[in-house]
Amino acid sequence: MTVRRLPELLGPAALVLATALLGLAVSVSLQNYFLDTLVKVSIVVALYVFIGNSGVLSFGHIAFVALGVWTAGVLTVPESQKNAIMPGLAHFLLHTNVGNVASLALAAGVGMLFALIVGLPLMRLSGLAAGIATFAVLEIVNNLLRYWQAIGPGLNAFSSVPQTTGIWQAAIGAFICIAVAYAYQRSRFGRQLRAAREDPAAAAAAGISIYGQRLLAFALSGGLAGLAGGIYVHLLPIEVDNVYLDLTFLTLAMLVVGGAGSLLGAVVGALAVSGLDSFLSAAENGVDVFGWHFDLPTGTSVIVVGTLMAVVLILRPSGLSGGRELSLPRRRPRVPDLPKVRAPT
Amino acid sequence: MSPRQERSNMTGRTRARIALGIVSAAALVLAASAAARVHAASPIVIGWAHDSTGPMAPFDGPALAAAQIRVKQINAKGGVLGHPLQIQTCDTQGDKPTVSKACADKLIAAGAQILFTTCDVDLAAPAVQEGINKGLLTVAPCIGTDQMGPKRFGAKGKLAFSFGNVAQDEGSAMAQFAWSKGWKTADLATDSVIVYFKNVVQAFKARFTELGGKIVDEETYQDPVFHGNNVQNAVSRINQHQADVVVTSTAGAWNALAPLINGLRTLGNQTPVLNSWAGDGTYWLPKSPAITNYYFVTYANAFGQDPSAAINTLAKQVKAGTGGFITGPAAIDGVVTAIKEAKGSTDGATLAALMEKFHNVPTISGNVSFSPKLHSVFGRAYRIVEINNNTPKELGTITAKVVPTIR
Repeated sequence: MTVRRLPELLGPAALVLATALLGLAVSVSLQNYFLDTLVKVSIVVALYVFIGNSGVLSFGHIAFVALGVWTAGVLTVPESQKNAIMPGLAHFLLHTNVGNVASLALAAGVGMLFALIVGLPLMRLSGLAAGIATFAVLEIVNNLLRYWQAIGPGLNAFSSVPQTTGIWQAAIGAFICIAVAYAYQRSRFGRQLRAAREDPAAAAAAGISIYGQRLLAFALSGGLAGLAGGIYVHLLPIEVDNVYLDLTFLTLAMLVVGGAGSLLGAVVGALAVSGLDSFLSAAENGVDVFGWHFDLPTGTSVIVVGTLMAVVLILRPSGLSGGRELSLPRRRPRVPDLPKVRAPT
Repeated sequence: MSPRQERSNMTGRTRARIALGIVSAAALVLAASAAARVHAASPIVIGWAHDSTGPMAPFDGPALAAAQIRVKQINAKGGVLGHPLQIQTCDTQGDKPTVSKACADKLIAAGAQILFTTCDVDLAAPAVQEGINKGLLTVAPCIGTDQMGPKRFGAKGKLAFSFGNVAQDEGSAMAQFAWSKGWKTADLATDSVIVYFKNVVQAFKARFTELGGKIVDEETYQDPVFHGNNVQNAVSRINQHQADVVVTSTAGAWNALAPLINGLRTLGNQTPVLNSWAGDGTYWLPKSPAITNYYFVTYANAFGQDPSAAINTLAKQVKAGTGGFITGPAAIDGVVTAIKEAKGSTDGATLAALMEKFHNVPTISGNVSFSPKLHSVFGRAYRIVEINNNTPKELGTITAKVVPTIR
């Protein structure tokens, strides 16, 4: 790792740290929005690992988030309350409980394993076909979790899950996602996938297995999405409908607005869109900022966020970051003075 | 010290004393007026996290409006033991979990001593958990399950109550009504999006079979509002099993009820459809074809045909969409009774302990009872309403004789 590339990692991490610190400074009520924003950063970075590096659109990643929610939720609801929330739950799930960290690790593991399995056939596809196929994965997972009550609560909310996601756990989750995304994109595998993104024919001719590299990125991003889901369900009681279409389009919009081509773009997009949406949501119920009182009409957030996203994309089609990473300026080697040559006389 | 210096010092001391006196007097006046303000105004604050735009809006809005009228009436009579009631609201904006939780925290930070939530236990869960974790009595006006309590929320759930009818009671009343109509066989169509819907149908089944009825077919579906897409499948399968009544529990606002009934009618199936309070109201009725042969039980008649004149007046004032509006003021009545019994205390544990002992406590919605096991109401008189050609008609009232165990 060259020093010049360090800001590529430290820049996004610093933004997350600043968000976490700001979240600690505000009221308990407003802190909820900061927590939500940090979880969104994790999800969008997970999306970036695959979409950003491969250039293939995926509408299915929220399925891996949903599986993370499901895994961590089912395994941490206290056994005494499982019957009330999940009356049809299968016996072994009814009597299996794990701790906070184990549930997060399992959420990541389930997300990664499922992404690997569905990726085996799907990663042979490209372009629109891949997008639609991943959307089918989202539909299948959503319908399974929604209707199959032997494995979970259906549409009931995961209440009574230990609320262990505070500012620091949410921030650490985002740090992990950023660190993994950075390590991956700087690795040989990340470079190969980006090469395939830029010119598939040339990459294949150079001996790169496009299928293999896409599958690796898909599984890795599925794992990060699962982790984000686990963190989300430990934050507040959510249900399967909260990790479906709305979240799919919102997080994709965050990635595109930030700039899908860079890790910085993923983090900036998540912070900018989620931050704006959070502020407007809070303002719809009245909020004081530096002595100013904002009280906006209901529905403002949807209109303003939608409009601003469109404006950003018109003015900066490659997103707020322009698809660039932060890096230190390249130091130009000093050109040694040429020896003075006396003109022959 | 020269006389001049002495005079000068004296003058300084006197000025200082006068200044001190003025400051002290001002402080006393301020303190007294502040104390008077606290004493005169110290209100009992109810924080209400309600949904103004999402799926619960048709139920939360009228309940909140009716509760505000009730609060005005109580305050006009001197409040609760001299303390005025005050409702502070926060909009959960379609029951987004983050906004719902933030609302609860905001209301608690603003001084709410009692927290009211939206009328579905899953959508209310983020706010309920914040309320009970902070030790507040947390009340839902119209959650219709046994889940507002320890069953769903563990030990802290002792602080959670609902003034909605528990589904077991409501399903039981529906079964009694069906049996009294001479309906001996039933098709069950369960909307599985929320616990309340499922429990009502389960309770109907338990009581109906106990009375001697027979269940011909059981189908499930989910509402389009929650991205459900299978109500027409349920209609096709129900139509293949002729019964005396089709029983469901689903909200008109959630877009599966009208397709369910009209789907059957389109197939030439005129079987009566019986629903719970969820299916109350005329706001969801399609203009064409009109809804026929449809029945539901509810808290109060929202169409001006209620046996209680006070309820009819209130329904008109709040432009009630369903009879559920009455649970708002009923919850206020119940909480006021608990505060009075607690001699003015608003401590969550104290109020909860008293409410668990409620037995036939009068409220505007009728007598209310709770038990350590059931923190939702049982034993209320349900209004039965029939709709034919989109016109509602009150058929009378019915009270469940037993509260069946559903699992």
